[in-house]
Amino acid sequence: MASSQTQIKKDDKAAAASKAEAQAPEQKPAALEEDDEFEDFPVDDWEQEDTEAASGGAAQHLWEESWDDDDTSDDFSAQLKEELKKVDAAKKR
Amino acid sequence: MEFTTPFFREFAESYSERSGPRLAKTLRPDVSTEKLRKICKSHNAHDIKSSLKRGLQLNAALADGLDQQEVQGWVDVYVAYWNGAKAILAARESSGDDGQSSELVWTKVYAAWTELVNVLIRGYQNCGFEAWTLPCLYVVCKHLRVFASNADDERNNNTSIDDSAAATFQDDFDPETNKRQKLEDCARVLSRVFMLCQSDRAPLEESRKWGIYYIANLLLKTYFKLNSASLSKNILNSLRAGGRDMPSFKAFPRSQQVTFKYHQGVLAFLEENYVDAETYLTEAWNDCYKNSVRNKELILTYLIPCRLVTNHTLPTEKLLAQYPRLQKLFLPLCRCIKRGELHKFDLALQEGEDEFVKRRIYLTLERGRDIALRNLLRKVFIARGFEEAKDGEKPVRRSRVPVAEFAAAISLGSQERIDNDEVECLLANMIYKNHMKGYISRQHGIVVLSKSGAFPGTGV
Amino acid sequence: MSTWPATSAPSGVPPSTGYAASYSAPAYTSVHVRQSFGQSFSTPQPSYPAYGPTQTSSPSAANIPPTVNPAPPTAQEQSKTKIDWPDSVRRYVQRAFIPANLDASVTRSDMETKLKETITQANENGVMYTLDWDTMPLPQHMIREERARSLLPLHSRPQVQPPANAPGTTKKRKSWDQADAAASASASPTPPWRTGPTRLEDRVSFPSDRHQAGAEQPSKNTSKLNRADKRQKRNEGEYTTLREDTPPPAEGPVIGTCQDLEKRYLRLTAAPKPSQVRPPHILRQTLELLKKRWKKDQNYSYICDQFKSMRQDLTVQRIRDDFTVEVYEIHARIALEKGDLGEYNQCQTQLKALYKLGLKGKPNEFKAYRILYFIHTANRTELSNALADLTPAEKKDKAIKHALDVRSALALGNYHRFFQLYNETPNMGAYLMDMFVLRERLAALCNICKAYKQDVQLRFVTEELYFESDIEAAQFILDNGGQDLLEDRNGTIIFLTAKAGSRFDARRATAFSRVDIKGQI
Repeated sequence: MASSQTQIKKDDKAAAASKAEAQAPEQKPAALEEDDEFEDFPVDDWEQEDTEAASGGAAQHLWEESWDDDDTSDDFSAQLKEELKKVDAAKKR
Repeated sequence: MEFTTPFFREFAESYSERSGPRLAKTLRPDVSTEKLRKICKSHNAHDIKSSLKRGLQLNAALADGLDQQEVQGWVDVYVAYWNGAKAILAARESSGDDGQSSELVWTKVYAAWTELVNVLIRGYQNCGFEAWTLPCLYVVCKHLRVFASNADDERNNNTSIDDSAAATFQDDFDPETNKRQKLEDCARVLSRVFMLCQSDRAPLEESRKWGIYYIANLLLKTYFKLNSASLSKNILNSLRAGGRDMPSFKAFPRSQQVTFKYHQGVLAFLEENYVDAETYLTEAWNDCYKNSVRNKELILTYLIPCRLVTNHTLPTEKLLAQYPRLQKLFLPLCRCIKRGELHKFDLALQEGEDEFVKRRIYLTLERGRDIALRNLLRKVFIARGFEEAKDGEKPVRRSRVPVAEFAAAISLGSQERIDNDEVECLLANMIYKNHMKGYISRQHGIVVLSKSGAFPGTGV
Repeated sequence: MSTWPATSAPSGVPPSTGYAASYSAPAYTSVHVRQSFGQSFSTPQPSYPAYGPTQTSSPSAANIPPTVNPAPPTAQEQSKTKIDWPDSVRRYVQRAFIPANLDASVTRSDMETKLKETITQANENGVMYTLDWDTMPLPQHMIREERARSLLPLHSRPQVQPPANAPGTTKKRKSWDQADAAASASASPTPPWRTGPTRLEDRVSFPSDRHQAGAEQPSKNTSKLNRADKRQKRNEGEYTTLREDTPPPAEGPVIGTCQDLEKRYLRLTAAPKPSQVRPPHILRQTLELLKKRWKKDQNYSYICDQFKSMRQDLTVQRIRDDFTVEVYEIHARIALEKGDLGEYNQCQTQLKALYKLGLKGKPNEFKAYRILYFIHTANRTELSNALADLTPAEKKDKAIKHALDVRSALALGNYHRFFQLYNETPNMGAYLMDMFVLRERLAALCNICKAYKQDVQLRFVTEELYFESDIEAAQFILDNGGQDLLEDRNGTIIFLTAKAGSRFDARRATAFSRVDIKGQI
């Protein structure tokens, strides 16, 4: 089921891509589409263990901080110095 | 199901079991054309009523004491269903060849099906239909939406037929809505059904109030399609007002809870009430059926921009990797934000603009620029290093940063230079929004940053 | 002084005339701009119901020579003797007989009859000298259309009057539709909004050095911001979007036969009689008349009422063509100028649909207004929808791009950019931006007070918030409770930001909380 679904999605995508190519870039951006609608669930109700939270969703690492300190800041310093020079040069001109 | 002996047995058994879902199956319109044809042909307009009545009465005993009034109610329901079936059959047959037809066949289906809803409503109001039969109402209402959309599409594709805008003599309404005429009508019908459920005063265990979230969800989906946030709000308000006499929300099936929370969350999101939106969407996410990938994807589509604003957190790459569409949508932006690449952020936002705008998340994602800027300024601050350490004391970061240095950082990667007044304006904003602690000294052209937490919440 | 006299009067006040309201040092030259705007609001306008069905005499009757219903023979006699043909009419007649314009299917005598009919009617209705004959459909086209119209099933009823304007004629009216503002500003008659410069910089009489000049030229106008408030209040009391009961649909469109140029607006509850509806060629003349009257009298409630009845006549006849667009555009612009947002919004909503039909007009101009409008009303959902409706090409249009930039500047808190854009507003967008510039100034001021220590020069506030002068900036600070925040330091006025702290936050919050406009769809 899951695999056939992804297959369909892929096909959709391919079809959508080729359609987009065929049409001029002037195409109107559409309103919210049919497929944006929240789908009916295949079952009416389910047990706690079948919820996203219980099935590993919560245990998973979903969210992270918005900054990144791994970046070597030496690199950044060099870039910044370079940019400052450019700005200075532009000012003098 | 054609109205012959098996049908009457099925009806009676469902009744004696008091099985709503089983009974509801007898009212489904989404059956094979072959089956529809059989239903239509099993009777004609003259004998349908009497033979239904006879059949139901014969099985009344089996149906656990079905009374006269109820029999009459169900007879009317199935007559209306039979009329609906005929209209659907006609629609399917006429659009079979080329998909086009000269007549507005779906408009007829919609009319017939609306009548079925009305007859059902009367059944509850006048003929003593019990709350366990609510699934019948669900099935019928669910398909009413489908037929309304079909009717609108058909009419819109057939421009020669409709020109009703002028018929009202007024021009102070939105002509756009005319395109969604039947769907609007459907919303009105559904809100009557909503009232039918909400106003039931029977004890909770046998109350139609149990139908309220299913119908509310149908209404919300309809209003979303009609692009009407205000009408959606009315539903939420109405639910809130009736809250005291309602069964507990948690007692409803999870499918209804999650669907409702999703819409509630998106509504809050559209109003830029991100705190509530995050709460509702998170609840929807946690309770969502684990195999409903598409719905999980939809929840995240709004939850991700929402969290960016509320607590400046980003989805992990691992999370995005499970949803290729979302990965494509959000990953470039998230990377730029993390690295403080302001110019690239602008490009990525532009790149995805059409898609973002279409999903109504553009305005929210745009606010990620503040976070990207914060991270960039933070990097400048870190790159400047520490004051010369005094003996034995903890090293202190250099906290006086020339505006020009921030200006240079902001123009990194971009060909455009912005003047220092605008840079100051951006810095003032960072300070105003508490992304940065300190002040600008215009006289000296510097920013004096706080020595204790210049960038609150980021460990620096 | 009328609202768009700028061709003759020296118009001179840039965006923010407001803040010197109470300040009138004799050393300064006073500058008047958009003054009538404020004035017309200080005197209460009769609202539309004054024209309602219960009244028997039209309030406008006093000003207008009674329009006599046509009595063709006599009128023609008169015209023969009296008429001194204006050049524009001569040109029109000439144009009709240019070989390139002739139509083999229309005989010369048919053309002459039609010409006579058209010109006579214009004369009777008193618009012969004001009608834009250069864009008037030629008689052969009117005749062709009449024929075409009679073939359509919906239009099969006998035609009393030829339609002067139907889609088929658009090609011949290119000059009107495609003329840009500058070109048509020199033509006569001129649509009023095109007469005056609408760019703020054009309205500044001292564009070379804003700051220097600004310091010497405070305005004596009543505060524009106050005016905006009044506009808004007026709207709130006046307009509701509630639809009355929908009357039963008519069988087909009405074909009007009414020959009166003026007609009061009445809300219909049943199909109107053809004798009460004006056909397109009469409506064209009506429009000319209204343009003239608007320029002359500036009586907004009259104009608004008349435009509503024109719109109604178009609606019941199901006329949706370039002329329809023009009527809505003009009404929208006038409403915009008068700050009647309810009416403006109705027009804008209809225009949106009309543009979708591919009709000519100024869709980009109005799409830009639409965005500014939703910024003003802080309608996030509609703003999102408006963005979703734009094509890539539209996003590059000057006016739309401006509106989008305004939006994004505000979203990012970039007041520096916002006030630059305020100064560069195309078309009539400044009327909309005027409505939210106060709150944005307060927001920016809050920002500055929190971010800058210990103080800044007042001049900095003047420049960043685009005040006309230091005095205006100072007045703004004083008006908002900052009496003790200005200090003279050796001839330089200093604004004490650190001392101000969060002084302006409450006013900012108030300013942002009042954006609810009735009449919003």
